[in-house]
Amino acid sequence: MSKVIECKNISKTFESVNGDFQVIGDISIEADQNEILVLFGPGQCGKTTLLKVIAGLEPATSGTIHINGKEKTKPGPECGLVYQTTALFPWLTTMGNVEYGPKVQGVPKKERRARAQKYIDLVGLTGFEKSYPIQLSGGMRQRVGIARVYCNEPEVMLMDEPFGHLDAQTRYLMQEELERIWQTEKRTIIFVTNNIEEALYLADRVLVMTNCPATIKKEFKIDLPRPRDYTDPEFLRLRQEITSIVDPAE
Amino acid sequence: MKHKTLKHSGNKQWKYLIMSVCSIVTFLLVWEVCTDVLHLTTPTTLPSPVRVFSTFIDKFTNTKPDGATLQVHTLESMKVALSGYFIGVVIGVPLGIAMAWFKPVDYFVTPLFDLLRPVPGIAWLPVMIVLFGIGLLSKAMVIFLSAFIACVINSYSGIKNTKPVHLWVGQTFGASNLQLLFKIAIPTALPMIFTGLKVALGASWNALIAAELLAATKGLGFMINQARGIYRPDVILVGMIAVGITGAILGAVIDALQKVFIKRRR
Amino acid sequence: MKKRKKINGVRVGIGAAAICSFLCLWAFATREGTTLGILMPGPVEVFTHLVETTYTKVGPLTIWGHMFNSLRRVLVGFTIASCCGILLGLAMGWNRTLEAIFRPIFELLRPIPPLAWISLAIVWFGLGEGGKYFIIFVSGFSNVTINVYTGAKSVDPELIGAAKMLGCSERRIFPSIVIRSSVPYIFTGLQIAISSSWAAVVAAEMVRSTNGIGWMITAGQSVGNMEQIMVGIIVIGVIGFLLSTFMRGVESKLCAWSRVQDS
Repeated sequence: MSKVIECKNISKTFESVNGDFQVIGDISIEADQNEILVLFGPGQCGKTTLLKVIAGLEPATSGTIHINGKEKTKPGPECGLVYQTTALFPWLTTMGNVEYGPKVQGVPKKERRARAQKYIDLVGLTGFEKSYPIQLSGGMRQRVGIARVYCNEPEVMLMDEPFGHLDAQTRYLMQEELERIWQTEKRTIIFVTNNIEEALYLADRVLVMTNCPATIKKEFKIDLPRPRDYTDPEFLRLRQEITSIVDPAE
Repeated sequence: MKHKTLKHSGNKQWKYLIMSVCSIVTFLLVWEVCTDVLHLTTPTTLPSPVRVFSTFIDKFTNTKPDGATLQVHTLESMKVALSGYFIGVVIGVPLGIAMAWFKPVDYFVTPLFDLLRPVPGIAWLPVMIVLFGIGLLSKAMVIFLSAFIACVINSYSGIKNTKPVHLWVGQTFGASNLQLLFKIAIPTALPMIFTGLKVALGASWNALIAAELLAATKGLGFMINQARGIYRPDVILVGMIAVGITGAILGAVIDALQKVFIKRRR
Repeated sequence: MKKRKKINGVRVGIGAAAICSFLCLWAFATREGTTLGILMPGPVEVFTHLVETTYTKVGPLTIWGHMFNSLRRVLVGFTIASCCGILLGLAMGWNRTLEAIFRPIFELLRPIPPLAWISLAIVWFGLGEGGKYFIIFVSGFSNVTINVYTGAKSVDPELIGAAKMLGCSERRIFPSIVIRSSVPYIFTGLQIAISSSWAAVVAAEMVRSTNGIGWMITAGQSVGNMEQIMVGIIVIGVIGFLLSTFMRGVESKLCAWSRVQDS
């Protein structure tokens, strides 16, 4: 099966007057069609930057990124990013935010409204089309963030700890929601988290990352049936194995 | 992948700094060229920067054409402005705090204040002149009103914006209402109160100049007005520059005070 | 999100009582036989005069004519100041080169109080309308520019990144994101500017004019007609209040999305 996304030898160094700071060591990542690939690692170093590099929002110091064969050098709709902070446009309603991608790409109104409505329904926000982000709860905002990227129909979806700011209860709920959404409309997803249960619940494969400079320590293939069971013995064994090899957070 | 040269904080800053300096130099040069070289304007409409500068220096010692030197005018203006300003602050800040903290005060005073608020201070000058004559008091009253209004508004906002959470914490420690006010609400409101002090200063200074245009025998506003009558725009500009500089210095004083008072919090 | 639509009865009651007591105090202080009573009229005289001015002329015009002139001046000056201020603020906030060029000149001119420009305006524009428009412009421009500049500089870079990620072209980032994001700041600037512009009109008319509410006040002073002065002050207050309220209304409609709700 040909790879949807291939990142070869990505590295990233930030230059500053205080000296250079290498955030990403040598990383190569590939993902298959409709696979959920989880990047699991401690602390804050490198993972968000890696996603931003893949999305084209930050230039890599070295390495290449190819999406379905084409090289990616700038941000664009082929690779969508769901932000940890949601980054919703506060002056737009839910509908406005979700249809933003198609709108700036020139999709006619009727078609893009219908498309946006489909994804608003998919994430479970029917009825909140006219609400502004400030009127929505954290979990609901994150759903808008997901719908917004889905609506753009990207080839790859990147998710940067999207549930990190939510309380535990909502977090579990959102994990199940994402599973359900993905089952309904399959997409290739690269998902970043530092929560082991979240990683094992969602992933087809888990890449364990190191601290700065970030590299890939080990890869785990997760073959458990979906939806996953947090109490399954194999789930727990994998959890034990992965947490034992992870670097402690800095 | 193209390499983007990351901003070395040194490099680009210098580039913009040079642009800024060039911008000011160009502005002055264009002004100079249009007046002294090309004679696009007459000296009675727009004098050259060189002329303005020489008049500025001259005014430190020359009492013509309006009867006093620059320093004397400046001090006179400051005297009037600061007297009105201080009274405005001393009454306005506590009143604003009281209005925001004690509901009975709020309910009673706010409607009256809202009636007063939209009237610019300067509009009261004729009333003040009738009541107090042409002198320092009438102008100081006008300035008092301008400063007072700004102080009340900002102090009120500052106290109203105290986070309820902080107050609840104080209450669980058994603090009384007054203690909550003095130990939590006021310190939190200090930045806004200082903003109010600056706004009030600007308003006072503005009102002062207008008041002196209408009723004075000394002071920067008077100097500017006299100069207009005898077609000396260079003196007008000198006056405007002096007003600007004095205002800026007074503002900087408040900024410094703010750093002293608020430093220990952050 | 609760909208407090209930009118607080106690608040209105006490407010009304406050205004009544003020009027009574005023009437009492200026009654027959007191020194104050000789100098100043009581509320009754003032309100009678106010009503009179609606159908008799004060100088060249009735009060409606004066109001119209003052409003015309303020609206023209304010509109020009707002447009220029918004343009300059957005330009300086978004483009560092423009910021480096224009900001120094702006910061040099900013400390000069708007009303200090009056004399210069008269020299340049004579005694006609141009000078007044200029003063009103100067009063409003600085505030609008500063607030819009702050707004344009505070655009969340994540939002710009998100827009690009969703397919927005570089050209469209400015109108689509920067301007929309700056709207609350624009309105803060406009609110301050409308009050300063109204104050400037009054001052400009007091210094040099042949009509307008500000003129009415100085004219009243020169003939010792205190009722006229008081009527002028009341009208200034009322119009100033209406202008601010209007601006706040527009802002709450357009900036509904940024209202921080009570938690």
